Amino acid sequence: MVLTLRSNPLVGILTKQKALPFILVMLVGMLFSKTRFYTPYNLLDMLNSSSILLILAFGVTLTIVAGGCDLSIGGILVVSGILSIKLQPVMGMWPAILCAIVFGLLIGFVNGFLVVHQKTEPFIITLGMGLLLTGVAQQLTDAHPLPSQISDFMMISNGTFYGLPNLVIITLVLFLLSAWLMRYTQFGRNLYAIGGDYEVARYSGINVIRTKWLAFVLSGGTAAFAGFLLSSKLNTGSAIYGDLTALVVNCGVVVGGTSFAGGIGGIPQSALGLLAFGMLDNVMNMLDITSYIQILLKGAVIVAIIWLDSFAQKRKREAI
Amino acid sequence: MSASSDSELIISIRDVSKTFPGVRALDKVSIDVRKGSVHGIVGENGAGKSTLMKILSGVYQKDSGTIVFDGEQIEGTTPQQSMKRGLAIIYQELNLVSTMSVGENIFLGRFKEMKGMRGSHAKARELLDSIDCKVDTHKLVSQLSVSLKQMVEIAKALSFKSKLIIMDEPSSSLTAEEMAELTKIIRQLREQGISIIYISHKLDEIFEFCDTVTVMRDGHAIDTRPTLEFTRNDMITKMVGRAIENEYPPRPAKVGGTLMEVRSITTRKLKDVSFTLREGEILGFVGLVGAGRTEIVRAVFGADKARGHSVFIGGKRVPIRNPRDAKRAGFGLIPEDRKLQGLILPFSVETNISMASMDNFSRFGFIRRSLEKGIGERQVKALSVKTPSVRVPVGNLSGGNQQKCIVGRWLEIAPKIFIMDEPTKGIDVGAKYEIYLLMKRIAEDGGAIILISSELPEVLNMSNRVLTIFEGRITGEFDPAVTAVDRIMASALGMKEVPA
Repeated sequence: MVLTLRSNPLVGILTKQKALPFILVMLVGMLFSKTRFYTPYNLLDMLNSSSILLILAFGVTLTIVAGGCDLSIGGILVVSGILSIKLQPVMGMWPAILCAIVFGLLIGFVNGFLVVHQKTEPFIITLGMGLLLTGVAQQLTDAHPLPSQISDFMMISNGTFYGLPNLVIITLVLFLLSAWLMRYTQFGRNLYAIGGDYEVARYSGINVIRTKWLAFVLSGGTAAFAGFLLSSKLNTGSAIYGDLTALVVNCGVVVGGTSFAGGIGGIPQSALGLLAFGMLDNVMNMLDITSYIQILLKGAVIVAIIWLDSFAQKRKREAI
Repeated sequence: MSASSDSELIISIRDVSKTFPGVRALDKVSIDVRKGSVHGIVGENGAGKSTLMKILSGVYQKDSGTIVFDGEQIEGTTPQQSMKRGLAIIYQELNLVSTMSVGENIFLGRFKEMKGMRGSHAKARELLDSIDCKVDTHKLVSQLSVSLKQMVEIAKALSFKSKLIIMDEPSSSLTAEEMAELTKIIRQLREQGISIIYISHKLDEIFEFCDTVTVMRDGHAIDTRPTLEFTRNDMITKMVGRAIENEYPPRPAKVGGTLMEVRSITTRKLKDVSFTLREGEILGFVGLVGAGRTEIVRAVFGADKARGHSVFIGGKRVPIRNPRDAKRAGFGLIPEDRKLQGLILPFSVETNISMASMDNFSRFGFIRRSLEKGIGERQVKALSVKTPSVRVPVGNLSGGNQQKCIVGRWLEIAPKIFIMDEPTKGIDVGAKYEIYLLMKRIAEDGGAIILISSELPEVLNMSNRVLTIFEGRITGEFDPAVTAVDRIMASALGMKEVPA
């Protein structure tokens, strides 16, 4: 019985994946609800509203696989969103967007310098950097929302292409790109080795510092990219969006199965983790659950999934 | 099996079996240990020694059989219960909290019984004094050497009034003097009437102080006899199940011209170290642990920063600032600690093997799957690594097979200079011989090897040339084929007057 279960690849994925069973439970559960959950409009909307978090997660996954983490993404998200609007009158829309992304890459570079080169604690350093950037964002906007004056700007995130929302398409492209990066390039493989064991990777002649550093740079870049997309989606730059974002995204990545210990997990897992969160939001909205209870339930789900997972791990260890 | 009556036995193991999924780890094992004796258990990795010890301590539960400890039959015990009963086990990877003090570690979880910290420290002092250990009980464990940590473990075992202490390969990271110290303590414990089960790969130790020896192989207790009735070859034959003609293959025969020259490495621990390495040669480094053997190769490999050193390969100066430069220059490294620096244990055999050679199967940083696929299989086959598949985690393999995976990793990039730091540490006799053959093959294919090992016979029998190292300096160069061992040892101990 146990053997046949184990040899089935589908069951294998289910037991390794903590987010997927949860998604399945929600999908099945919603079959019995009298809501508009199963409509193309709603499902697409769910993807659309998860997209920003998904994009953030792709970058964060690189740092977590390498044995770090990135909590500065919330700060980068808002500052880049504000920059991409504030710089528009000065230099035009596209250069402003480019500047915002370069800004994210730069912050990632600084994070990488401190965490990888100077060997500091990633959790604290990036958390501090996120706080610092939140302050910058508030200073830049005086804590008021900042609308864009160019109407085309809004269309980047809100437009559609053959009926599909642009955001969903962009997310899908970034998903494929980053999954491929992690799996089929030396850079990706080296990240896994570094996260698996830093010293072993070093002794194998891998350029550990440059590789891990680059992970932080890319994470900063994707966060900035997500920031301008968010501003475009809302047609506003504001300092308040990023508050919990960094924590939620890092949590989602871990719930998906990318361990903080490094070396295991990947982009598809992170996508599932964040999708589970997105779906939970959607389901709770459908069921008219109030926002305080929503936060409560979300926290409970994170705790439950991670607990159940280590429970399963423990069972597996003791079975051997 | 033995004639002694039950009251003379501290522990009597009868027909104990244990099966893990797919493996019969122990098959009706029976061993008796007499009170106040030192009982050695030898066997290759995977012979079942550790499983048996874990059953005794209560980490695992046996499937069948009986265990009588000090006249009392033991069923369904836990590690805590066996400790209290007087059965202590000192694992290879010591179980101490490194951020706490010596005294706190000895009485961990029992401060109340000891009437607080002060009582704990006082009692700890008493226990440490009883084994002639001078270490300050307020010192943090992280600041102690491995051998001192072992003393702390022994003191901890004594604090439970243990009647039987099991030591699982205690010597694997000890220097010769530390080993002598441990030997003394083992004898002292025996005199106090404490019985000891001593597990080791090193036959010298077994012959030095064990009263009785049990040889285990493939989950069976093959033979138990007084040590005096065994010969060395006898024991090795029983361990591997076949006769091994020699422990070492003949040295590589064809030594060519200079391959590498290292000039004046200086670091915090090394003073102006220079040496040459020839083609097809195995060069041995002999010295005490801490003399600087490992530091030399780490500096050459670029793992540590060194001042003013220069490495010449084939007459040309090669800058080596980090391991990556070293890899490019044609170096391969088998690091000192297989688990910490050599392998990513949860990763697959394949991934661990292909880690250093990614340049060979990728273009512009993009991996070409078709080229990557065969690597794992190829090396596993070429080195006859025993593994069910290349996809299993490398941590599931035995020590010898793990080591072969590291060798395979480097063979993929065909290094000219192989640095091997303790290549046979914790590996059983049969696998050792295979590693030796591999070394010989590498040398005969035109490569060169720098060999570091704490096992003197290994260095002396494998090397074409040995350098002795003492306090960060090279103190002598010898041809081990014609030099007496004590001359080499004297030089490694820094003695000026070398006995003739």
